[in-house]
Amino acid sequence: MNTRAQDIGTDPPEGALTAAEYVLGVLDAAARRTAEARMDREPSFAIEVAGWQSRFAPLIDKIVPVPVPFALWPRIQLAVGIAATGSTSPRGEGASIWRSLGLWRWLSAGGFAAAAASLFALFIVVQQPKPLPPIAGRELVATMTQDDGKALFAATIDATTGKLVIVPIGVKVPADRVAELWIIPPGDVPHSLGLLDPQHARPITVPATLRAALAAKALVAVSLEPPGGAPHGQPTGPIIAKGEIAVL
Amino acid sequence: MSGSTSTDQSQLGEWLAAVARGDSKAFEQVYRATSAKLFGVCIGILPTRSDAEEVLQEVFTNIWRKAAQFDATRASPITWLAMMARNRAIDKLRSSTNERAGAPIELAEEIHDETPTTAAVAEASDDKRRLESCMGQLEPQRRTLIRTAFFEGVTYEDLAKRSGSPLGSVKSWIRRGLAQLKACLER
Repeated sequence: MNTRAQDIGTDPPEGALTAAEYVLGVLDAAARRTAEARMDREPSFAIEVAGWQSRFAPLIDKIVPVPVPFALWPRIQLAVGIAATGSTSPRGEGASIWRSLGLWRWLSAGGFAAAAASLFALFIVVQQPKPLPPIAGRELVATMTQDDGKALFAATIDATTGKLVIVPIGVKVPADRVAELWIIPPGDVPHSLGLLDPQHARPITVPATLRAALAAKALVAVSLEPPGGAPHGQPTGPIIAKGEIAVL
Repeated sequence: MSGSTSTDQSQLGEWLAAVARGDSKAFEQVYRATSAKLFGVCIGILPTRSDAEEVLQEVFTNIWRKAAQFDATRASPITWLAMMARNRAIDKLRSSTNERAGAPIELAEEIHDETPTTAAVAEASDDKRRLESCMGQLEPQRRTLIRTAFFEGVTYEDLAKRSGSPLGSVKSWIRRGLAQLKACLER
């Protein structure tokens, strides 16, 4: 190929630019497979492809980054088989019920209005005996209620630092079960935030990977699980309380 | 934070080397540093977000398994990663039955005239400046087609349909543009 820049009047011979066409992305599926097979057996062709990749590389700078749904990282961890602490897989056992978020939303809609109305009163009550640790930054709150509307937990959330304080309100957990806290962003699956102390208000630090989930409209929920928590990173036991996060 | 440009390339290279040794912490660093950029790559090419998420997951699974194949003498880390994401996304696009009904391509004049600002040019690397300059020398229709093909990964057939031009002309424009680009960059 010795086409000069000014020489734009003639077509380069068919096949002379296959490496460039492969990198540019204009080839159809069959031609892409042919090109890849050629890369494997023809080092000079592979070098040509690498050459075109580096020629076009500066265009990558123009691609605008798009925030990734936070649920993806735990899924990747699971796919490659590395430990995912406090996170979950949508393929985990027991996920099916939780995945039907339509149902979830529907369940929470009724309870939320009542919960929101009583939220202020609730905070005064629970704060008097045991003041909540002060929280700076943007504050979010949630009241987790039973299906009949009775509040079981109150939560204050600092989205900036990922600090969460959960205040239990007369919760009874069977001796052979533990209470596990979950966060469910809109359209997503539950992610574990760890086990709860059903007797005492405790601060919880949300892992950095889940911090983006701490936003209005996400649901927080508590399920009853075997000792040690849900074994596969997805809730298995009954949901005893749930509520939607709201801006205070 | 999320942009690849803000992450030092040599740091990224070190992380990839660590990933090749099975270091999951380094893998998380690579994810933090590049996932948003690579998601941007996939979203530009694929018709739905769920496709883009699926491909991004594949890409990172691949990074975990094939980090050892990264060859710093051939490409910068982000180029290697972005090209891998592009390839996966393009393959997904080809295999999907409902290819995106892409927006019409207007060839008469440049719509996205991305004349770089003085500051951007001053900041740009040599490679970037040279590509900008050589792209700038292409006829607008060739430049538009080549850019669209790169960012959206669409076939000649699609480009022809979307630009309302005969397939033969589109192929010819792109090939001549590529030859011209190569010659310009080699000068």
